[in-house]
Amino acid sequence: MNFVTLLNYPIYLLIFISIYGCLTIALNVQWGYAGLFNAGVAGFFAVGAYTSAILTSPAAVGRIGGFSLPVPVGMLGAMLACVVAAWPVGKVCLRFRSDYLAIVSIGVAEAIRLVVRSEEWLTNGSRGIIDIPRPFGDLPYAQSQVAFLGLSCLILLVVYFLVERQLRSPWGRMMRAIRDNETAAQAMGKDVPRRRLEAFILGSALMGLAGALYVHLTRVITPDAIDPMIVTFLVWIMVILGGSGNNRGVLVGALIIWVIWSASELVTDQLPADIALKAKYARMFLVGLLLQVILRLRPEGLLPERVGTAGGSGDLGRTSPEAIAPSEGSDDV
Amino acid sequence: MRNTVLGMASLIVAAGVAATPAQADVGIGLVGGITGGTAALAPEMMKSYQFAVKQVNDQGGIKNGEKLIGVVADDGCNAQTGVDAVTKVVNVSQVVGMAGPWCSGVVLAVANSVTIPAGVVLITPAGTSPQITALKDNDLVFRTVPSDEYQGQVLARTLLARGTTKVALSFINNDYGKGLADAFQKEFVAKGGTVAARAAHEENRASYRTDLAQLAKGGADTLVLIDYGDSSGLTVLRESIENDFFKTYVGGEGMKTTATIKTIGSKNLANFYVSSPVSEKSQSLEVFASGFKSAGGDPNATFVSTSYDAVFLLALAIEQTGGDKTKISAALRNLVDAAGESIMPGEWAKAKALIAAGKPISYKGASGTLAFDANGDVPGAYALFKVNGDDFQFVTDMK
Repeated sequence: MNFVTLLNYPIYLLIFISIYGCLTIALNVQWGYAGLFNAGVAGFFAVGAYTSAILTSPAAVGRIGGFSLPVPVGMLGAMLACVVAAWPVGKVCLRFRSDYLAIVSIGVAEAIRLVVRSEEWLTNGSRGIIDIPRPFGDLPYAQSQVAFLGLSCLILLVVYFLVERQLRSPWGRMMRAIRDNETAAQAMGKDVPRRRLEAFILGSALMGLAGALYVHLTRVITPDAIDPMIVTFLVWIMVILGGSGNNRGVLVGALIIWVIWSASELVTDQLPADIALKAKYARMFLVGLLLQVILRLRPEGLLPERVGTAGGSGDLGRTSPEAIAPSEGSDDV
Repeated sequence: MRNTVLGMASLIVAAGVAATPAQADVGIGLVGGITGGTAALAPEMMKSYQFAVKQVNDQGGIKNGEKLIGVVADDGCNAQTGVDAVTKVVNVSQVVGMAGPWCSGVVLAVANSVTIPAGVVLITPAGTSPQITALKDNDLVFRTVPSDEYQGQVLARTLLARGTTKVALSFINNDYGKGLADAFQKEFVAKGGTVAARAAHEENRASYRTDLAQLAKGGADTLVLIDYGDSSGLTVLRESIENDFFKTYVGGEGMKTTATIKTIGSKNLANFYVSSPVSEKSQSLEVFASGFKSAGGDPNATFVSTSYDAVFLLALAIEQTGGDKTKISAALRNLVDAAGESIMPGEWAKAKALIAAGKPISYKGASGTLAFDANGDVPGAYALFKVNGDDFQFVTDMK
């Protein structure tokens, strides 16, 4: 057995965790801080992935493209495209409370999925886009993986620090105020729809960035890669498990869920063959069960949101379960 | 929290160590969509994989009796799950080659991000997308199933050879329907035929009469219908026959279902033909079918013969190279040597003896002759069928 080869697996795990970490922070901006229930993560992920794929891939027969732009341009383009996609969605439905946004965002994600499947001139339909460049893709396998891990971690760190900074600023406190008591915030003169739109667009752009990272990792994108079962629900579970409202928490959530998701198979493969085969069906069930247990025993997540300044956390350090389902009381629906 | 992370890390390492086969044995990946879109096909295809592995091990294993270990992994018919599964198979179980994945999208993602960079051979028994042909794969991606592109071409040539020069073309709007229809049209027009009208239709609509009326206006009396015979294809065919829009109907392999005969009735289907990939009628296929049946498998299930061949070819290549994964792809091309002695499915001991003696072999695959072209594709064999009583009857081979 070759231990150096074995190391490729944890490196791969960390790459995926950093991509999902980016997604969880994005969702945390929307849900954890602004209380916006976005159930269409996969849609924005897809917009980012396909935009970057189209911008950076070489020409192909039957679809637009051939721009062959550098990867960073693709990533920026992915974020911009998500801003463009998120703006009308937010403009129309952010005046409503969470349940309406949830329904609309599922619909939008589904619409994006159908566009991706059927607009062949744009996305090459279900055959997908191939030959997408990968940063450090010319290096041998192990080195290339390590280099990509460095890149994705760097991007995640930058995202983390920028978002943290944003959320510690007056803007972040205002977002929490709007989330926890919209009427009061409005009475204080805050422009609630506009602020919500800002948070929604910021989060969506970061989801697009994660999509771009993913597409440059696998070098190919087909519609099955944007399955909401994985991209939307796994991300939600990560955020809830880790602790919505706490960026470090959601990163821990991403780490735990992805490791369970991936490494559990190594454990079940040790079982007798026919049981091991059945265990593959049980993975989703296990993750769902974990979510149930967490919601029952620790609804605020593993690392709960920290409210107030560093010195004055005290009792406020742990928020009530309302942080998970914010401000039902002040609904205006 | 630190403890949790440490605990998980040690869990991964422990599981990884345990999951790696013992030094002497040779691991191959048996990857497929056990969950997800192909779950219905999975039981028989997995059985077929395992059947091949068992035959190899029962007849002396690899080289000096080392076991061939099949590492089963689930690609979920999803690119992300597939990349995850194959990363484990390649790096943790450290296989020298793998059969699968099945879904074309997963094959593309896995090949690009894992197996090609890691230098591991992949043989898919079910990925039919033409995109797989175009992969820059360092000769590491093969398939035992023909690309969709071929069927469209042979169907076009067969119709022209039978004197049909003007058709209307109707297809289901997905990658299968569109891919096949495009390949058909390109070849048909290039060889002098006319496509008088062409339309894609969505799945599961209640009625297609307006689409059919439009298509019939083109003036063709033959409709080429690329669809599934147990869903929208059935509706299109029934409505067209009821309203007498066309005289002759030609379907792709998706239309070859008994549901069409049961619903429409064989007396109404006298002018209905279907093309379908066939495992070339051969002794090999019979040998495989009887062996697989006695092992508890269903030899008529979809893709079982291609699955078997993928594993058996991989095993032969491993035997020839002694498990050196850098040489397997070259070896795969030497297994169908015209000058070599025939090897039937299941004749592992014979093949082993020949390889040990340094003699060339010619593997007669259960699914046909598996001479890979430069892209790692196989041409495949097709035949035209028509309805006779409750079943389909062979009409002619298609070239």
